[in-house]
Amino acid sequence: MFLASRNFCCRGIQLRTDLLSRSIKHSTSATMPFRHKNTRRIEGLDSNVWVEFTKVAADPSIVNLGQGLPDISPPSYVKEELAKVAAVDRLNQYTRGFGHPSLVKALSQVYEKVCGRKIDPLTDILVTVGAYGSLFSTIQALIEEGDEVIIIEPFYDCYEPMVKMAGAKPVFIPLRCINDGNSASSADWVLDPAELANKFNSKTKAIILNTPHNPIGKVFTLEELQVIADLCIKHDTLCISDEVYEWLVYKGNKHIKIATLPGMWERTVTIGSAGKTYSVTGWKEALAQAFWVDYKRMDHPDCYFYSLSRELESKRDRMAQLLKGAGLKPVIPDGGYFMIVDVSTLNVDLSDVDEKQPYDYKFVKWMIASKKLSAIPLSAFCGLETKKQFERYIRFCFIKKDSTLDAAEVILKNWNKQTG
Amino acid sequence: MLRRAGPSLRHFLLERNSSAGHSSYSREAKMSRPVQARRLEGIDKNIWVEFVKLAATYSKVNLGQGFPDFPAPDFLREALTRTLSGGNHMLHQYTRAFGHPPLVKVLAQFFEKLLGRDLDPMTNVMVTVGAYQALFCCFQALVDEGDEVIIIEPFFDCYEPMVKMAGGTPVFVPLRPNPPKDGKLMSSADWQLDPAELASKFSERTKAIVLNSPNNPLGKVFSRGELELIAELCVKHDVLCISDEVYEWLVFDGKQHTRIASLQGMWERTVIIGSAGKTFSATGWKVGWVVGPDRLLQHLRTVHQNSVYHCATIAQEAVAQGFQRELMLYGKPESYFVQLPKELQQKRDWLVQSLDGVGMKPIIPEGTYFLVADISPFKSDVPDDPNSDEPYDSRFAKWMVKNKVKGSGPSCSFYPGWVCAHPSSGWGTWSSPTLGHSRLQPAPEQHPQLHMLPLPRALLPSRSPLSTARPTRTTTPISSGSALQR
Repeated sequence: MFLASRNFCCRGIQLRTDLLSRSIKHSTSATMPFRHKNTRRIEGLDSNVWVEFTKVAADPSIVNLGQGLPDISPPSYVKEELAKVAAVDRLNQYTRGFGHPSLVKALSQVYEKVCGRKIDPLTDILVTVGAYGSLFSTIQALIEEGDEVIIIEPFYDCYEPMVKMAGAKPVFIPLRCINDGNSASSADWVLDPAELANKFNSKTKAIILNTPHNPIGKVFTLEELQVIADLCIKHDTLCISDEVYEWLVYKGNKHIKIATLPGMWERTVTIGSAGKTYSVTGWKEALAQAFWVDYKRMDHPDCYFYSLSRELESKRDRMAQLLKGAGLKPVIPDGGYFMIVDVSTLNVDLSDVDEKQPYDYKFVKWMIASKKLSAIPLSAFCGLETKKQFERYIRFCFIKKDSTLDAAEVILKNWNKQTG
Repeated sequence: MLRRAGPSLRHFLLERNSSAGHSSYSREAKMSRPVQARRLEGIDKNIWVEFVKLAATYSKVNLGQGFPDFPAPDFLREALTRTLSGGNHMLHQYTRAFGHPPLVKVLAQFFEKLLGRDLDPMTNVMVTVGAYQALFCCFQALVDEGDEVIIIEPFFDCYEPMVKMAGGTPVFVPLRPNPPKDGKLMSSADWQLDPAELASKFSERTKAIVLNSPNNPLGKVFSRGELELIAELCVKHDVLCISDEVYEWLVFDGKQHTRIASLQGMWERTVIIGSAGKTFSATGWKVGWVVGPDRLLQHLRTVHQNSVYHCATIAQEAVAQGFQRELMLYGKPESYFVQLPKELQQKRDWLVQSLDGVGMKPIIPEGTYFLVADISPFKSDVPDDPNSDEPYDSRFAKWMVKNKVKGSGPSCSFYPGWVCAHPSSGWGTWSSPTLGHSRLQPAPEQHPQLHMLPLPRALLPSRSPLSTARPTRTTTPISSGSALQR
């Protein structure tokens, strides 16, 4: 997009010269100088994988397992609370800038329980416009020109442009598969401690951690978090911990908050999301009442924080089966609602597609066009240098209603019946 | 550039040789370098944070912060309820990042009518989280380090810190009062820019000018002639115009709100900002928008997709329905855009009368729901204090709360306001109570509850003599001052 605007500017100058001799009433724009282009801080940040792929997948005939939005209904009490709230006049007006009092109070109660420490709702919690807004505020507030920020690959795509917009340098470190590519579980993807340690230096301002991890679904263990914590403390680095999928953890796994490790509270910003917690990605609004409902039943199995992950676990398992049946190699996630799949086993030849895009981008576009199934290419989640490593993977989202998964099943079962 | 010392985290571990490992961390472990980024320097204070808290402590009647305390219109709340209970549960999920299609479509239709040009909803409109985020996107997308941005005083407070956060330099130019010769009350129209002074503010470093019409806090509705003056300078110097028009529908006395983007040469260099919160009296919904040429909006989209990315879907859906209704009723008496200004005009007139009766000098606003009044007649009650660091109007407000408004009526709250200090006539500080308060009904035996709005020094125009000097005019005792105690 930046390229387009640059060309426009050049053409604009030419146009200006041509039109100077004409006197068209409303052509003043063409004759006037216009030097304005994007600010330096957003240079090169205009392209966006979601903008690109949601457009392609918007065709209703396509089964959309790409973007991470549920097509299941949010719990009814959540919707009921919003309806009630809309009827109260003063709740249609401004609230406290840093967070609606009843919401920050509910959040502080929930997180006090989870973290085992006192949390002041007015100073330790900030409500933002989605976790996206949290990431943006955190990065703008704490990161500046000259800083380095460590980002673990694959990464949720916005980390890189946000770090760049703050004038800092992203430093990437990949998760590596311990089974040499034959991983069956997200737990097989690990950081090399020595490699990680090498990435830290005196310029390192922060590391961004995402657990449970999007896209792999990895749930970092206590030991893994300790390695990161040790380095943060040793190098006096901040930790930005994106934990939006904190409640979506499957059997046998436990979500641990790095902020609860010794020495980490004072250097960690933990990010959460009501959109992910309550399957209402479109809200970005106060959900205090809903949080109170679930806070009260936090010790019970039917708390939504736990019941959703149970529901999703069976969808996860179903998805994995279907993909294996089609000859694909899924990486079973321990958490989150995404699953990455190795598509290289299918050996789909896309060399005649002459775009300079990575293999997975081409594969997904081919899959959408020929199979009517959409996913997201994994190299969108990687830095430039590691794209080759990740381009055999694509990401599926399985927080979808049964009928969507049924439709996906039909496609996957018939996969081999057509020529690839 | 030296890093600001600021609050810093000092790291003990690097200095200690502890063998106990992690357990020896102090709760007060600090970082050895400043934590916060330099872009936040000097912008951490915020008038709303300070005074909203204060108001919440003291007040029962709030005329400070700009939001209605009457309900949002029924049709809007019904639209939200319909959306919630309707079958389309996908309205609870992400919508199009740059704006929910039904909303951008109806906004495009509306503004096509108003601007007299074709608009593409996908490229000429973008939805933001309130007009606040629209402003933020403008500054981040278009203002670079070293750019100058002209801000007309008095100004909505966020313009300055946002320009600074983008590394720009705010350049102020004040509206100056020209009181009518016949001694009548001033109107916001009597506050004007001096053309020569304005022209002198434009330099080769000027990137943009921020225009706010109708103006908060004065209520000024810039005339076509005044806008043409600004437009000429923008075109001459190739400067952008960030046009904050959130109060576009709140215009009184049959006046016209002229959109600067409709003037010659301006469409291509203007970003228009609007707000559903102000349009539909639902400030808590936080739905705003920008309208402008694609070549400017493309950069705002880049900032948007790298900051908040999406805005709440349900709110956008309901606002879209609100606009669809207004499109059908456009210009008709049942239109909310016709009814609201009519109702507010009455409240304005009542408040003007009441303030005048008390001895304050209100400036009759042509638009918005704010009003600025001169409190200098009360100088004898609240004299200057050369030892005080606090701005005059802030002290005045506190004095008012303590001494003037008590007893059976609800107590005052004090809120941030704006200071318009006329440099040469020494009129003194002004404060601005806000309108739109349905509970402010005049009772014959009681005076209206007034909210004096102190202005933190930070907001005083720095090159105004009155920002540092004390007002010199002697005050006349007010017999009506004591009436407030009735």
